[in-house]
Amino acid sequence: MSRWASLAARNLRRHGRRTLLTGAIVVVGFVAVTMTAGFVSQTFRSLRSATIRSVGGHLRILDPRAAGKTDDEASTILLDDWPGLAALLSRDPHVVQAMPKLSFFGLVVKGDRSAAYLGTGTIPALEKQASLAADSVQSGRFLSDPDANEVMLGGGLARAVGARVGDLVTVMTTTPDGGLNAVDATVTAVLGYPIKELDDRVLFMPYGAAARLLKAEGRANSVVVLLRDDHDAERVARELSKSLAAAGRPVVVKTWLDTAAFYKQVKLLYTAIFFFMGLVLAVVVVLATANTMTMSVFERTREIGTLLAIGMERSDVRTLFLLEGVLLGLAGSGIGAVLSLLLRAALNASGIMLPPPPGATRGNVLHVDFIPLAYGIGFAVMSATLLVAAWWPARRASRLNPVEALAHV
Amino acid sequence: MPILEARSLTKTYRLGAERVVGVAEASLSLDAGAFAVIAGPSGSGKTTLLNLLGLLDTADSGSLRLEGADVGPLDERARARLRRERLGFVFQAHQLVPVLSAEENVALALWIRKVPEAECRTRARAALAAVGLGGLEGRRPDSLSGGQRQRVAVARAIVGDPVLVLADEPTASLDSETAGRLLDLFARLHEERGVAFLFSSHDPRIVERADRRIRLSDGRVVADERVAAGARA
Repeated sequence: MSRWASLAARNLRRHGRRTLLTGAIVVVGFVAVTMTAGFVSQTFRSLRSATIRSVGGHLRILDPRAAGKTDDEASTILLDDWPGLAALLSRDPHVVQAMPKLSFFGLVVKGDRSAAYLGTGTIPALEKQASLAADSVQSGRFLSDPDANEVMLGGGLARAVGARVGDLVTVMTTTPDGGLNAVDATVTAVLGYPIKELDDRVLFMPYGAAARLLKAEGRANSVVVLLRDDHDAERVARELSKSLAAAGRPVVVKTWLDTAAFYKQVKLLYTAIFFFMGLVLAVVVVLATANTMTMSVFERTREIGTLLAIGMERSDVRTLFLLEGVLLGLAGSGIGAVLSLLLRAALNASGIMLPPPPGATRGNVLHVDFIPLAYGIGFAVMSATLLVAAWWPARRASRLNPVEALAHV
Repeated sequence: MPILEARSLTKTYRLGAERVVGVAEASLSLDAGAFAVIAGPSGSGKTTLLNLLGLLDTADSGSLRLEGADVGPLDERARARLRRERLGFVFQAHQLVPVLSAEENVALALWIRKVPEAECRTRARAALAAVGLGGLEGRRPDSLSGGQRQRVAVARAIVGDPVLVLADEPTASLDSETAGRLLDLFARLHEERGVAFLFSSHDPRIVERADRRIRLSDGRVVADERVAAGARA
């Protein structure tokens, strides 16, 4: 095989300019695939981080009665004794923090203006550490006192009622037992969310005030758990579910991914775009290479005729041309890998700021991830693509009639 | 026993709507150690007959035996195996692989027989020395003269120790002096190695030196002379 590989390599060198042009297509294709993979990886990472921060943690612990129910249905079911549950959760070494969430809705009123809101009662210090809300403060300060009658309003909601930082607003809601209740609260911050529907409705209140408003002291719709490692969520969810049941607190544990429909859609879309782009690149490489190889077969018809005449097996002739394709793929991929690494280093050092990923409030500095798998797949795909591209010209060469080939002018 | 025995070989081609006769009812036999020529004017069917005898092409009818074995029923792979193991070829143009050195071009005939590399090299160097190209092993075809390239082609033809070398117009692209030296080489290899040569040529110098002169006209063998040693040029 090494003889034929050597012969194939020399034939590639012999047609240097043509090899260079075709090789350049392979190089560009390889760089495009690996760089895109690195960029998409960073985007997925940012989006995952934003998604996790949007719910304030990796896991949501729900009352067992919420099993099999939709989020809307589950929102009316409250967990009892969340501090006891949080204490159990905090024993797990994977858990950073566990915070209660009370979900409620109603009207916020200032003077003669009112607007509907979607409220969250939370522990300010924990919320600030884990949630997207901390990044969204446009004016004022984040909630701090867990018992104070204070609120943070989405920008749209604040505008709807004409509230500003320091104003007093009335927050009205329906309690779980059906009664009406209201509390006056000071606006500590106006938030800015990139999604208008959220910005027009969101309201945050310290857990203590929210619990009083709802008459639900010690209870919570869910306990949100922040983990040390994003990738442990599924495993830790299973372990916590078992350990809590064993401790006499059966619960439903949902991971951030269970309810991250947006993340899944975006990931699916990006993946589809990535594969479509890869497919287009592969077609371009196949067409360009097939053209080159076909020209090569045409120009070397007499040479092929000679090889067949002196008794070379047709399969060996085919192998010779296939090797040229594979060698071109490997060489192009090798150069592409080096260029890709250099370009990645340059881009990562450039400090270019990217716009926020979908659903996030802050952009990131451009960072193209190094994905060894993408490089491995790049080598395999480019070699396979070149093999496919070389197949028909190689087959044509191997099927030449030696008498006709020798007479070819 | 003859090394090659053809009986009533016929080959026709389709040219547009017409069928053209390339070789018609050609019969001949060739003994080991022959130095024969198929002679005739252009278009007489020399190359077609040589292609049939060299197993490069198949006849429409007739039979062909190589070393006593009927090659008619053989498939493409078996014919290729016989070509690389029992026959040698020299073409009008040298037909060397341009990216290989002289030594590698000669070794190519052994590579395709899966002979170990070291043996390929040794035998290729010996074959090049036999054709007077010792010292030029590393040269590529484009740095050799026309005569030297044709010698490399001859070395490639004999390196596998064939029973018969078929040479199609081997002197056609050479000047007179170079062609003469190439003919001397063929004669010497024939004498020293006892390998049989079958040329197709209308070069009178080849015809004069051959011990067997098979003349073709319109695809038919019209004469088959055996020439005594004293009557040759």
